[in-house]
Formats: sequence, C-alpha cells, structure tokens
Amino acid sequence: MTAIEIRNLAKSFGPVKAVDDVSFSVDAGTITGYLGPNGAGKTTTLRCLLGLVTAERGTALVGGRPYPALEHPLTEVGAVLEATSFHPGRTARDHLRVVCTAAGLPAARADEALEQVGLAEAARKRVGEFSLGMRQRLALGTATLGRPRVLILDEPANGLDPAGIEWLRGFLRTLAHDQGVAVLVSSHVLAEVQQTVDNVVIIARGRLVHQGSLAELTGNGERPVRVHAAEADRLVPALEAKGARVERAGDGALRFYGVDAETVGQVVLDERVLVTELVRERSDLQEIFMQLTREA
Amino acid sequence: MVALVRSELQKLFTTRLWWIMLLVMLLFTGITLAVTIGFAGVRTQGAPALPGRETLEFQQAAWTSGAGSSIFVMVLGIVMMTGEYRYQTITTTFLTTPRRGRVVTAKLVAGLLVGGLFGVAALLLTAAAVIPAVLISGGEVVLFGGGIPRIMLGVLATSALYALFGIGLGALVRNQIAAIVGAIVWVFVIEALFTAIPALQGVGKFTPSGAAQSLIAVRIDTGFGEADLLPAWAGATVLVAYALIFAVVASLTTVRRDIT
Repeated sequence: MTAIEIRNLAKSFGPVKAVDDVSFSVDAGTITGYLGPNGAGKTTTLRCLLGLVTAERGTALVGGRPYPALEHPLTEVGAVLEATSFHPGRTARDHLRVVCTAAGLPAARADEALEQVGLAEAARKRVGEFSLGMRQRLALGTATLGRPRVLILDEPANGLDPAGIEWLRGFLRTLAHDQGVAVLVSSHVLAEVQQTVDNVVIIARGRLVHQGSLAELTGNGERPVRVHAAEADRLVPALEAKGARVERAGDGALRFYGVDAETVGQVVLDERVLVTELVRERSDLQEIFMQLTREA
Repeated sequence: MVALVRSELQKLFTTRLWWIMLLVMLLFTGITLAVTIGFAGVRTQGAPALPGRETLEFQQAAWTSGAGSSIFVMVLGIVMMTGEYRYQTITTTFLTTPRRGRVVTAKLVAGLLVGGLFGVAALLLTAAAVIPAVLISGGEVVLFGGGIPRIMLGVLATSALYALFGIGLGALVRNQIAAIVGAIVWVFVIEALFTAIPALQGVGKFTPSGAAQSLIAVRIDTGFGEADLLPAWAGATVLVAYALIFAVVASLTTVRRDIT
C-alpha cells in the first residue's frame, strides 16, 4: 500500500531550484532512506510533503491526500524536522501536552510518549536543559503522539551518540516491520541509514538520481576479494580460469570480482604465493553514493 | 476551535513570561496609583495638581491607572506570535493544525482572553488602592456612577485589544526583538508625542492610544489644557477597527508563508 506519494514535485527559492521534478513513493511497513548531500533538496521535499512549504508544481500526498487536507493529521502522520523546535522554558511534558490539546488527544498520551522514547525521568525538566540527543527523542515522542501510520524524519541521527543511533534504528524497525508504519528518513550520511533502510531514494541538486532497494544499489555479489601479495600476479591466470574479473587497487593490491574468498584462498595455496592480506571487501556504499551524487 | 484556544493558553501559561509581564504590569500600575494618590490634593504653586482624595474627580483619575497595562499586554501578544518563529515551534503548531487560519484565530481569541485577564488584574489592584484611600480621606466610594464604569470598561477593553495589536504586529514582523522595540517606540515615543502635543492631537486622537484615552477620559485640568479626544463611542470604534486590521494582517501574513 502506498503511504507517501510524491509526483513531479518542484520548488524554487529565488533562482535556486531546490527540488526539481522529484517523484517517488513509500509503502506501508517499509523504511525508505531519502539520501543526498547537504543542500540537495531533502528538507524542502519533506516540508512540501507536510504542507509547510507550498510546492510550485507536482503533488505530494500522504495516505492519498495532501497533508493540509487531513482532518486529524497527527493521527495519520508524524514528523521530526529540527531538533531545536521547542521552547527552552517549557518542560518536555508540557510541550507534549500543548500538542495533545491542539490535536484533541488525551493528555495521558504525553506521559506514554515520554515513556516510549525513554524520557520519563526528564518529563518535568525544561527543554533548555536537554542535550541534543534528548531533544531528538522528544521530537520523536511528539511525532508518535497520535500513533501515526506514516513517520517522516529529517536527519534524525544528527546529534545522537552511537548508543542513541542504535536505539533509533531499533525504534524505527519496530514501527515499520512490526507495526506496519511507513517510514521516510532523510540523511546525508549513507552509512548511517544503511543498516536500517529497505529502500533508498537518492537526490542531488534537487534531482532524483536513484530509487530502488538497497540491494539494487550495492549490486548483489559485487563484493570483491582483495589480495595483497608481492607475487599477486601469479594468482591471476588461475582465478580468471574460475571466472574472476581482476581490478588493480591503487596500493598495489588486486581485487577479484565474481569469486568468493575460499576460491581465492585455494588458488593462493595451490600457487604457493605469500599473501599479506586477503579480505572480502564490503561493497563501498559511500563510494557509490558519492559517485551517484557527483554525476547529477 | 475551543481545543486550539486552550492549547494557545496552555502555551502561554507553561512558560514564564506571562507572570513576569503580569508582575511588571502590576508594578507599573502600582507606581501610577502611588503617584496619583500621593499627589492628590497637594498644592503646587497655589493650585492642586490633582484633585483631593475625597473628590469624585480623584477617583476617576485613579481608576485610569490600569490603562498603562496595555503595552505589557501588547508585548505578550507579540511574543505569542514571534516566540513561535524564534523557537521554530511554529512547525509543530502547523503540523498539528495545518489550517493556519484556525491557528491565527485561536491565538487572537487567546490574546483577547489574556488581555482581558490583565485588565481585570490591573482593575483589582486599582480597587485595592483607591477604595481604602478614599475611605481614609472620608470620601464616598463611587463604583457605579460618575463615569467610573466607563473608565473600568475602557481599561479592560484597551488591555484586551492591545493583545491583538501585539499578535498582528508579531505576525507581520516575526523578529521578536524588532517587534518589541517597534512597539515600545510606537507607544512611548510616537503615540506619546501625537497625543501630548496639542498641535498634533488632531491626528493623535486617531492613534490606538489616543482612541484608548477617549475611553478613559477624565475632564481634569492638569495645567496642560484639555486634550483633544474623540467621543468615547468613536474611540471604541477606532480601537476595534485597529484590532480588526491587526487580525487581518496576522492572518494574511501567516496563512501562505513558507515555513523553512
């Protein structure tokens, strides 16, 4: 089921085309990473989707309707935009209760949400005393007040420590995979979301450069085996005979594509070559990401 | 809509500014009262600057003390609007209520209520000072005659409407410091000049504070001559017109603007 649908969205700020003909969709129960360098147009897309910024062209729908047309938006869509959007003099609990009142939700939801994001202890503290990580948690608590079916997060990992990022991953996975929530999460660091997302949408300079599953992006089975050896060239004929493709790495090492590490090890043993390094490389997502966003 | 107004009031009462403003407003009113009571009937160069405490004129003058509360209510109104932009809480507000016109309406209603509350507080303080002062001087306390109900209503209405002015100005300017400085300069410099200098009073009587003064006008000669003011009904109309203009400004500037 399509939860978020963006079609031919365009928005300029003065001469700058922030978002230029962007289309993609997010299904219920999946986590989609919306990736791109800083200034690529991620935030503008999300703000158009949420009715905060008026698009020039195209449509952005949540649950089949534009956001401003939703009768009870917080029960359908939750959003985390900036970590700083709180009054520093208001307590976390009061912040949530203000939102509950305006959204027609029972005030008890405020305490439940605080519990859920691990802020129950800090409920009566003023937000001004909060760390960036605590603010992110409070923002997430605000977004989930109405138990929405769609969750939109803009750079939620900013300011989180490694433990916080791990917690966030678990939180999003539970929501999406167990509760069927559609999650759209933006980031400028691919590695940050790589372990969490099912699909990726990549944007650069306002234009879409890739959309698909994470596996499609990395290319299945394209993890090369890297071998560093003084006489590495002696391995080449035997491995090519087994269907490997060879690539020279900059530092004198060789990369063998299309074979697994065991096959390479066997050839090393057969050829009696002294090897100083033999490793199955991770496909370099960051490199792919950089390449895609540079080309745009 | 009731829920939205409640939410706006909750926003105000869960931060500290409202009671700081209330205290400052009461202090300001208190000083005005102290001066009015202290100098009542005191003769300077032969004639008393203010009528004696046993007179009706004294009571009328004293009851206007709360009118000074309007600037504090206006600042509160400014902060109700600009605070949302300053701390970016406007994002959450509009995500919760994407129909922005409703948010603005809720803010205006909340502003009217809070402004009214400040007006009541100023009047209660006035009552607490004036009634004993009159009784001690052996005068007769007048509450329901001698133009005093009109003055009380004037103080109340001015206070309530100035909250709307603040919200409208805040929506227009959005920068909190600029809006507050602008309001203070307007009230204490521009309006003060236009309503005090006789040659400018023809224009000054149409400014918000000129119109407000017509509601609480007391005919006493303080040595400066009588001020040129509108009749009370016209003053009220002018004030309400300003409030409507500010409300429209608040809506128009808020409804379509991109929140980035």
